[in-house]
Amino acid sequence: MVRRVLALTSGRIAVAVLAVIALLAVLGPWLAPQDPLATSDNTLAAASGAHWLGTDHLGRDVFSRLLDGSRVSVLGSLEVALVALVVGAIPGILSVYLGRVFEWITLRLADTLVALPFLLFAVAVIALLGNGLTQAMVVTGALVSPLFYRVARAATLSVARSPYVEAALVAGASTGWIIRRHVRVKVLPPIAVALAQTIGVGFVIVSSLTFLGIGVQPPQPTWGGLLASDLGYLSHRPWGPVTPALLIMVTVWACNLLADAIRDVSGEAGRALVNDRKARANRLAKGRPVSAGGAR
Amino acid sequence: MTTAAPGAVGPLASPRPALEVTDLDVYYGRGRGRRQALSGVSLSVAPGETVGLIGETGSGKSTLARTVLGLVRAGAGSVRVAGEDVTGHGGRRWRALRRRGVVQYVFQDPLRSLDPDLTIEDSLTEPLLIQGTGRAEASARARALLDRVRLSEDLLERLPGELSGGQRQRVAVARALITGPELIILDEPVSALDSANRVQILEILKELRAGGVALLLISHDLGSVAGTADRVAVLYRGELVETGTARQVVGDPQHPYTRLLVGSAPTLRGASADRAEREALRALLHT
Repeated sequence: MVRRVLALTSGRIAVAVLAVIALLAVLGPWLAPQDPLATSDNTLAAASGAHWLGTDHLGRDVFSRLLDGSRVSVLGSLEVALVALVVGAIPGILSVYLGRVFEWITLRLADTLVALPFLLFAVAVIALLGNGLTQAMVVTGALVSPLFYRVARAATLSVARSPYVEAALVAGASTGWIIRRHVRVKVLPPIAVALAQTIGVGFVIVSSLTFLGIGVQPPQPTWGGLLASDLGYLSHRPWGPVTPALLIMVTVWACNLLADAIRDVSGEAGRALVNDRKARANRLAKGRPVSAGGAR
Repeated sequence: MTTAAPGAVGPLASPRPALEVTDLDVYYGRGRGRRQALSGVSLSVAPGETVGLIGETGSGKSTLARTVLGLVRAGAGSVRVAGEDVTGHGGRRWRALRRRGVVQYVFQDPLRSLDPDLTIEDSLTEPLLIQGTGRAEASARARALLDRVRLSEDLLERLPGELSGGQRQRVAVARALITGPELIILDEPVSALDSANRVQILEILKELRAGGVALLLISHDLGSVAGTADRVAVLYRGELVETGTARQVVGDPQHPYTRLLVGSAPTLRGASADRAEREALRALLHT
């Protein structure tokens, strides 16, 4: 599937953008040319050789703060997505196989979680447990998990009732065999789509919380926090919010682009894509037209 | 029930039938929505015998097959597969029986019964891999089978969507054969095929019968199984209304529904019922 995604232009662009963001998250603090927390008298300065993106209201280098803050934003969004994946997808697959009681309980739990507004809930959890992004993201991940639950359950249901799974059952296959051999391949693409989307949503959630000053202690920099502090000085530095907003926007866009690319290359559409390529390769090899794909 | 010949329900000659169904009742749904799908069905198939199970859509043919395979629970009566009484079997004992590979099922739609993401080789070897056979041995046995079902080896690397309908049906038959079963149930094995592929599949089935495999051919079309089956059982609204040798049932049908079936099958000799005659038979069935 990775090869198929990379064969698409949109897939390559999305992966390249996300790779740069990931590099920023890993290396950002070391790449920062100046101390992101060091204040100076040179406040609200325009872009210059010394300060590529200027300085903020306390004279701190904005470029260094952006680089340093990328780790919190990326880790936060990954945390949301991974918690949601584990809490949602596994019960989603098992709800088809573990009997009606488990199915009923997990369905009602998913309904309940959907009803809770996750941003407000995250704020409430932080108020209860103390100001920390990790606990807020774990709770947010749990609240976003019904998306994975529904996606995994729907994909598993469509496979579980298919004749090829019945054929495996008639051959004596266990539930574990059916999940490993038939269900996993069909469920992974929609889950990968949901995962890419949720990482994008995670960025928005982390940025929203840090924009409100929730989850991180000042003066620790984050993309959302930079956006908020720059907004306060719009009259002095009108271009200030552009860079953090652009970074958030491009990252979320790349996540959605990746989700679309995964969807385009998986399932029936993906098989058609492979068939087309095989047919084209045949044509080139034989030097004459060959019908694509064969009988369906 | 009308029986064409006394004792025709039983196998032709066998010490132990591959399949023995006795007074089988099957219900769907519960409470007020409960509906009887099969009522008092008795049927047996001996090793090396081919029995055609004929009936219209909704008559209970597939339900009978699914009950024999343990996919649907029997309401009453008993089912013996390869000498083992499976009526009260739970999930674990069913799995053990299925893993032995003594009974196999060829689904009605071979495209949908083969995983679209698995190569033909993966689909063919799956029953052996489930039994615990090594991948290399399973692959060798799959290759050895291809000749028997007239398939070439280069198809093994393809996906089901890249095969023709006839090829897919032969793959489905090969998959059923790979465990060396005593009984194969085939649901409409030739109804979706053109005449050339139909003849090929029927020839393969005849070879299987000669090899001692018991076959239960399910079809809505009497004409397509009459030439292959030793005996024919006619299912109508969940009840077996007539059983007998194929010659008896086609040549001297007793039940009005069987007469209608014979009269409506254009491929059968003697299928000369005109429209008025068919309408009279239909009227008789609905009284």
